Amino acid sequence: MTEETFSDEILMRFADGELDPDMVARIEQAMETDDRLVARIAVFIETRAQAQAALKPLHDEPVPEKLVAAVEQMIEAKRAGEKAAAASILPFGSGRVAGPASRSRWMLPIAASLAAAVVGGLAGYWAAATNERTQGGLWVASVIRPALAQALETVESGKEIKLAGISDRFRAIATFRNDAQDLCREFEVDSQDRSTVVSVACRSGDEWRVSFAVVAPGDAGGYAPASSTEALDAYLSAIEAGAPMSAEEEIQALAEVRRKDRK
Amino acid sequence: MPEKADRVQDQLVAFLPNLRRFAIALCRSRDIADDLVQRACERALANERRFEPGTRFDAWMFKILRNLWIDDIRKRKVAGPQDDIDERHDIAGISGEREVEARLALNSVAQAIGELAADQRDVLLLVCVEELSYRQAAEVLAVPIGTVMSRLARARKNLAEATGISSAPTRYPVTKGAAK
Repeated sequence: MTEETFSDEILMRFADGELDPDMVARIEQAMETDDRLVARIAVFIETRAQAQAALKPLHDEPVPEKLVAAVEQMIEAKRAGEKAAAASILPFGSGRVAGPASRSRWMLPIAASLAAAVVGGLAGYWAAATNERTQGGLWVASVIRPALAQALETVESGKEIKLAGISDRFRAIATFRNDAQDLCREFEVDSQDRSTVVSVACRSGDEWRVSFAVVAPGDAGGYAPASSTEALDAYLSAIEAGAPMSAEEEIQALAEVRRKDRK
Repeated sequence: MPEKADRVQDQLVAFLPNLRRFAIALCRSRDIADDLVQRACERALANERRFEPGTRFDAWMFKILRNLWIDDIRKRKVAGPQDDIDERHDIAGISGEREVEARLALNSVAQAIGELAADQRDVLLLVCVEELSYRQAAEVLAVPIGTVMSRLARARKNLAEATGISSAPTRYPVTKGAAK
């Protein structure tokens, strides 16, 4: 039987498992009778093993904390940016409504100047039956639905309830007055689709109007991510929101609203 | 080793030891390597959308890092010959200074890897150390798969020769001079 000759490359591919089965079978057969072939293959198996072993300590040494921290920070920044992009703000004015496309954060001042921003699709359950649908597909919430109104007038900041009739959770965050001295409440609603809406409603005459809302992507409940509160902060400063009321002030202010409601 | 990544950012931190090892082997200095790793992560995050889920995350990262390193070398060459570190030499360090930096001199195999020509060293690191396939290595190095195989075979012959891993058959005499 004539001895088949194999090139170094073929033997290396054999050693690395990068060879087709037919060739593998031929080499294996040849190895049975050719010790020198075995030795040549062994060089490739050995060099791989040795290179791996030689550089293992480099892999095992701890990554400097500074480097880990820097990378983690970049990842955090990236995630925050993604959330900000996902948080959409839709302003609406007097009947003329922009399309439902999400807005980047530079839209905030515009939204704020309109003093009325609401999120499409979500306003539906805030709105009472009297609302009219606009061409842009948004609900103009002239009056918010009773369950929410009730929550706004009763729930103390820091407390959370389930809205009557729907499973959404309502969380009161703060109470303050805007530049017109209207009573305003900042609150969050976790809706069924697991998104969190960060919102501000202000007392206008004898009703509540939602003046700001931003939907944050669903993080399965809990408080809204920082990016949506950044949007809120920009809005609050635009309406010259006063400092949050103390618990006592808030109780008094809400009681006053309820007293007026009864009249 | 992470093979399938849906999101680059979720895999990056766990992959740092491998990325850093590769970087140290390339630039032979931990300080430079750490900087290189950081910049590679930055670039990976910025280009996250270009990463195709289901492809090898490690290969993608190695490619980014190596390309950054090659850019650095080019810039250094443009900047002036006095900064021109000989790419062919030493993970372990020919000069005492680099030896202190790399602290690999105790390991003769590591030293021999460091003394390989850069193109041989890179393919050896990717295939033998980081366990990429030939095709993945070809992708990282942007060379044909045949080139990967010929470089890798030479790299291993040279390594075997330098470290006395196994006596190469006389039919295949490999000397250091001939290899470079």
